[in-house]
Amino acid sequence: MKTFEEFVGLLQEELGLPITLEQAGGSLDAVPGWDSMHLLTVLVLLERQTSRQISMPAVLEAGSLRDIYELVTA
Amino acid sequence: MDLLAEYPDLPARLADAGPDELLRTGRLLQRIDPADLRAKHPSLPAVSAAVVGHGTLATLRTALTAEAARHGLVLEAAVGDFDGYVFDLGDPGSMVYQRQPQIVLCALDAEEVFANLEPGWTAEDAGAAADALAGRVAGLAERYVAHGTGVLVLNTVPLPAIHAHQLVDHRSRARLGIAWRAANTRLLELAAADPRIVVLDLDPIAAEGVAVHDPRMSTYAKAHLSDALLLRYARQAGHLCRALSGRTRKVLALDLDNTVWGGVLGDDGIDGIEVCETYRGEAFRAFQRVARQLGTQGVLLAAVSKNDLEPVQQALREHPGMTLREDDFAHVTANWQPKSDNLALDAFVFADDSPYECGLVRAELPQVAVVQLDDEPARHVTKLLRDGWFDALDVTAEDRARTALYRQEAQRSSFLQRFDSIEEYLAGLEVTVDFDAARAEHVPRLSQITLRTNQFNLTTQRLQQSDVQARLDDPAHLVLTIHAGDRFGDNGLVGAVFARRSADRLDIDNMLLSCRVFARGIEQTCLAALLRHARATGVREVHAGYVATAKNGNVRDLFPSYGFAVATDDGASRTFRHDLTDVIEPAPHVRLVTQLEGASR
Repeated sequence: MKTFEEFVGLLQEELGLPITLEQAGGSLDAVPGWDSMHLLTVLVLLERQTSRQISMPAVLEAGSLRDIYELVTA
Repeated sequence: MDLLAEYPDLPARLADAGPDELLRTGRLLQRIDPADLRAKHPSLPAVSAAVVGHGTLATLRTALTAEAARHGLVLEAAVGDFDGYVFDLGDPGSMVYQRQPQIVLCALDAEEVFANLEPGWTAEDAGAAADALAGRVAGLAERYVAHGTGVLVLNTVPLPAIHAHQLVDHRSRARLGIAWRAANTRLLELAAADPRIVVLDLDPIAAEGVAVHDPRMSTYAKAHLSDALLLRYARQAGHLCRALSGRTRKVLALDLDNTVWGGVLGDDGIDGIEVCETYRGEAFRAFQRVARQLGTQGVLLAAVSKNDLEPVQQALREHPGMTLREDDFAHVTANWQPKSDNLALDAFVFADDSPYECGLVRAELPQVAVVQLDDEPARHVTKLLRDGWFDALDVTAEDRARTALYRQEAQRSSFLQRFDSIEEYLAGLEVTVDFDAARAEHVPRLSQITLRTNQFNLTTQRLQQSDVQARLDDPAHLVLTIHAGDRFGDNGLVGAVFARRSADRLDIDNMLLSCRVFARGIEQTCLAALLRHARATGVREVHAGYVATAKNGNVRDLFPSYGFAVATDDGASRTFRHDLTDVIEPAPHVRLVTQLEGASR
């Protein structure tokens, strides 16, 4: 997973969320069916794949998927 | 992937799924309305559930959704509010009592006990808080039994080290341990007192090394039981849902060779199989003891094996070290037909060390649960018990007597029917046969095959390594190796053909094949290749023989069934002749690799 588009694609696949790229760029409140618990599970999966630790508080405080993407790839 | 349409395929797809795949599938399934699933698949049984508890329970619901799909059940689940179980179970207006689901999961964790203790707490303080939790839960359970109509599932609460080890002295830790276990005992007693209460004991799961507590998920998401633990919890709950829908598994069908005992009965003989005393023998004995233990509780044991029936019965009756005896089995089926022929119904669990046989059963009988064992018998018990296929709410006296009952009624026939639908499975198996001239490095294994193979051994000529080498060195002799593999892996050097050329005649001295790879077209493919090679190199007639032994009766008709004419037959030995005018085709699903001139199709 390198690009933001790939990150959104992963979330679509893992969470079954029909997120458009447009929605993904905006506020999380605008993402239909958003569930932060499920996001955390996916982050744990990503951590295992990349052997890197992602800050969960930072993710939970993030306002958009773009912010989360930047945390994940930082 | 359209999970709505493909829902009936999920039991097969999720049978051996790992945690990530289960949770992913569960998340996707939660986006499907159960009403749509029921409308699309009206024949699938539905189970209604409520998930309540102390912490965040999203993972439990997700995992339960996946487990229900794994059993082919349509789950209608409602989740209580965060930290809302006291209200959910205590208030008659709550969703639990309004909806009256068939099963209510109330997940309890240790954080509830420790959250309200101020620094300076003692073992007694924590013990009192744990006892208060147990008392509160007991009251709620009583209320549920009075007003609820389903089954209430509670759990024991493993004590996490992050709490216990806040007490620095061992004496205090011991007192906490006593008080903690007393509270868990109080919870367990609820199950003993009422048949509609189930208490999942999570200690055995924690003892396997499954983390109870995930610090980050607990701190940031208030999910106080780890995903790994909740997955195991959900697996048990899934089996409870299955039991509630009346589909408990009742039969354990066991392969014999290298599953129940070490070695191959047909090749190693009764004295050669391992069931005790040796290192591996002890592992198989442990497995037999567990199978027997299940049998005493109403699980019907069936033996399914490719061996002949008679030696199997003899081994079960006469082997001095055998734990499982013929009477422990409701049915002993031993024959050479592919095994799925002998199984049916969704009450079956099938355990076998062979990936081929497991794959065959999965493909042909997806409703049968498959326990895939391997070549490490010390793990057989763990693998058999891990899923919980025989979990039941209760075991009755009738259950305990079931094996005897079935034995009286069972027809002891050998089920020697033909299996017709195997072609499709074989086609997907991607069997590859490498059939070629032997080289020097094959000599030890070739000798071993002639010495050890008893069943698929046409003339039972035993060859020492020097005998094999002599044939290899003689240009009149053909020594051909059979390597086989399939999508499950490489079977290695599994067979051989020994033959002699003289002018325009070929004599097949012997043909051998390991019993691991029978009945999947390998012998047909090799014979076809050999006959083509013979014809292409100027041979006009091929001769072959069969010499009967106690163990090779199954290959008596091998050559005639592939187009050889019977030349002589004195009962004990037969000779055959093929004039090469009409040569059989290789098995259509087998990919043949060979350098032999003219042998390819």
